[in-house]
Amino acid sequence: MSRYLDKSILEINELLKQKKIRSIDLVNECFERIEENEELNAFITLNKEEALREAQALDDMEVDNVLFGIPIAIKDNILTRNLRTTCASHMLDNFIPIYDATVVTKIKEKHMIIIGKTNMDEFAMGSTSRTSYFGAPHNPWNTNKITGGSSGGSAACVSANLVPFALGSDTGGSIRQPASYCGIVGMKPTYGRVSRYGLVAFASSLDQIGTMTKTVYDNALLLNAISGIDLNDLTSADREVEDFTRKIGEDISGMKIAVPNYFMSDIVSNEIREKIESVIDVLKESGCKIDYIDIKYLENAVSLYQIIAMGEASSNLARFDGIRYGFSKENPSDIEDLYYGSREEGFGEEVKRRIMVGSYLLSGDNAKKYYDKALSIRSDIRTSFLKAFENYDLIVGPTTTTTAYDIDSDMSDPLKTFMDDVLVIPVNMAGLPGLNLPIGFSKDNMPIGMHIIGNSFDEATIYKLASFLEKKLNLDLCPKGGNSYE
Amino acid sequence: MSNYIPTIGIEVHVELKTNTKIFSPSRNGYGMSANTLVNEIDLGYPGTLPLINREVLNIAIKAAKVLHCNIRKEMHFDRKNYFYPDNPKNYQITQARTPIGYDGYVEIEVDGKIKKIEIEEMHIEEDTCKSAHRKNVTLLDFNRAGVPLIEIVTKPCINSSKEAMLYIEKLRETLLYANISDCKIEEGSMRCDCNVSIRKSEDSPFGTKVEVKNIGSISNVGLSVEKEIVRQTELYDKGESFKEQTRRFDSKLNDTVLMRIKETGNDYRYFPEPDIPYVYLTDEMINKVTSTIPLLPDERRELYKGRNISKINIEKIIANKSLSDFLNNFLEEKIDFQVASNLLLGDISSYLNKEGKIITDTMLDNERFIDLVNRSSTRELTSKNIKEILVDLLESDKTLDEIIKDKGINNINDESVVKDIVLQVLAENEESVRDYLEGHDRALKYLMGQVMKISKGSADPLLASDLLKEFLDKKK
Repeated sequence: MSRYLDKSILEINELLKQKKIRSIDLVNECFERIEENEELNAFITLNKEEALREAQALDDMEVDNVLFGIPIAIKDNILTRNLRTTCASHMLDNFIPIYDATVVTKIKEKHMIIIGKTNMDEFAMGSTSRTSYFGAPHNPWNTNKITGGSSGGSAACVSANLVPFALGSDTGGSIRQPASYCGIVGMKPTYGRVSRYGLVAFASSLDQIGTMTKTVYDNALLLNAISGIDLNDLTSADREVEDFTRKIGEDISGMKIAVPNYFMSDIVSNEIREKIESVIDVLKESGCKIDYIDIKYLENAVSLYQIIAMGEASSNLARFDGIRYGFSKENPSDIEDLYYGSREEGFGEEVKRRIMVGSYLLSGDNAKKYYDKALSIRSDIRTSFLKAFENYDLIVGPTTTTTAYDIDSDMSDPLKTFMDDVLVIPVNMAGLPGLNLPIGFSKDNMPIGMHIIGNSFDEATIYKLASFLEKKLNLDLCPKGGNSYE
Repeated sequence: MSNYIPTIGIEVHVELKTNTKIFSPSRNGYGMSANTLVNEIDLGYPGTLPLINREVLNIAIKAAKVLHCNIRKEMHFDRKNYFYPDNPKNYQITQARTPIGYDGYVEIEVDGKIKKIEIEEMHIEEDTCKSAHRKNVTLLDFNRAGVPLIEIVTKPCINSSKEAMLYIEKLRETLLYANISDCKIEEGSMRCDCNVSIRKSEDSPFGTKVEVKNIGSISNVGLSVEKEIVRQTELYDKGESFKEQTRRFDSKLNDTVLMRIKETGNDYRYFPEPDIPYVYLTDEMINKVTSTIPLLPDERRELYKGRNISKINIEKIIANKSLSDFLNNFLEEKIDFQVASNLLLGDISSYLNKEGKIITDTMLDNERFIDLVNRSSTRELTSKNIKEILVDLLESDKTLDEIIKDKGINNINDESVVKDIVLQVLAENEESVRDYLEGHDRALKYLMGQVMKISKGSADPLLASDLLKEFLDKKK
């Protein structure tokens, strides 16, 4: 079996340009690895036939960009024309989209090859990917552990080197948290940086598509490809498309970095705090100025998130009614029966729970009491972050409070899943960019990640620091469990 | 039956005349095959997001202006959540908290007095699908889904069915003239819901509110209000009370029919639409739109009054916007406007109605119309002549002189020529002259017929009849 996928993207690009390899070689290699690692359950739908056909068609074309011919996996809540998109739900398990999401159009313009659609929590609601209608994906570092979620399949397939690139979506940590659990680089860009057109909405004011890769440089390359204003998304930002790799390799000495005290409090396991401290020492040695600061309202973020995300979700998911697409109850007696039957059976428990809570939160006077209040405190969180950025270039801390836990652990406590995201949610609330960088391993050899938060639209500075640490720490990030490509 | 004071508030939805829909680039059109003006946004597909049609903002600004509303310069949209098959996303994008217009009014004339009907607010929203109910199925046409609407809500300040009808008529006329909507109630581009309650006196609290929905014509607005007042009065007189409810007007039964009782206040779970950022209107935008507002009906009424057009003709002209627009081309000319309006409302309107055309569909141009009006007011052309030449005038570009020549019209309105003919007739018909002098008026008709016969129908009839009478009276 070939080993091209273990090489860096720049090396692969060079080989493609010199015609030493063809895109179809990479695509074949992907499918071989996916088949060998079927037990990871990283994919819901594979696009094998079409991917091979497209790769074949690239043979006659000039390699016009660095992502040309490179395979990519897409989270299954991002619409792909003519390729089933399920949101990991029974509700959409027969849904074939009639259009491409804007990010998918952009990826196709770069001639990347879509390998398949990745597993996730149903409608991205969860932090373990265990709410998937298609069963949970498994962590490549230890298949008895969760991948995290909701972009668990994307994290697993990149981590296990099945595919070099994946797209995820992050509403309350759904890229960064599984990236941390699976030991990969995951970026949630600034809200508005990437078009949401064609992303099945969970919480519209928080959702953001982002990039999941093995390395920091690759991550910046992929973000280059999918960013930019989209006239189909009024919330996409009118910013010039920049090169996110441009600060990679710059000297980091003199950078001012803040560590919020809350992120290093006893909500985080000792092991992770120690690891973060050791990386902070590296930063100090490298000439960074580190301060421990307080950021107001961080401890409220999870409550606010629940109100805003569930409120918006209850409305966003109302369109799944069994009438135009998706699961539909057979032979309903009347319209009520069609609604109740389709939604009762089509949605899983967690989704229904969130729709119910969200509906309650927007009902009558509650909208003012909860939703409006949450929006107002949310803007205070943003203000306190922006205030910190007046004095600091970046904010860092741990991405998660623990490492990935057992896949068969109890999932009956609905609040637990939100607490998994306690460190990542504030960044969605503030609309800021945040990245997970693998920085080491726990005693039981599970990845630990650092969360690097940047100022609004300052992803480039995040990549600068992340790339520096990546080089400095020089970790071996090939999972040893269940994979033998070395 | 006791006397109660009715309190009525009216909600009107009108569809806006835009090229495309409000939140998608699909075409906004009426009468097309079902589901042909549809894209993924209109279908409420997963992953779709709304766009904003700037044209809608401009028309809504215009509507706010002509309804004398204040305009909110910082506004957002809200989601109104409810499940219904005609509601593709199961939420409607509307403006609940920040309507674009508020505190406006429409003036109506009730029994010679001006009354201001106060507008509480007007907001922008999207239309739903059109559903057609068949035996066991409901069919959905998404062509209408996402058509831009404005909803105009009055305060509860209307006190009779007459006022209600006058308000709707005035609103319709104003929106039509401002080119905001075609306001066709029968086609559903204007839809009225009335809230009716009655109470004993000005000091009593408001009675229980009944909403009558989707009333299909202006006269049915009046009827449904009347029927509601009677129905509620009878209930109160019997000492009965009733629950807040929604009814519809059944034009076959000619009465309102219960649709549903409102158990609790509707819970639409409104919240700000997160997919559309705040919209900011600038003074520049507002001024630009304001400058495009055409002359409104009341302004036209004043202008026509100043040009001595009769009140009846003014209202008839106003009722036909294309005629009014046409007439406005001549407002600075020195012509007889009453004659001009008679021509437009008479023979020209008959022709247009017969042909199913509007005046701009014809070849009639300004210059020839002025010529026609002048020759008509000087009686150079008789009404009979006009009937003869009208088709050519409207369907060709020939000058009046050419048409008159073609038709062989040769009117004798030279007084001395007509006088000679009259004298000849009187001399040749002594018997009839005698009859007339003895009081048989019918004889005049006969004599007149002889004049027309000798002149081969070309003598100016008014002139001839005047001269006949003059000479006959001399013989008395």
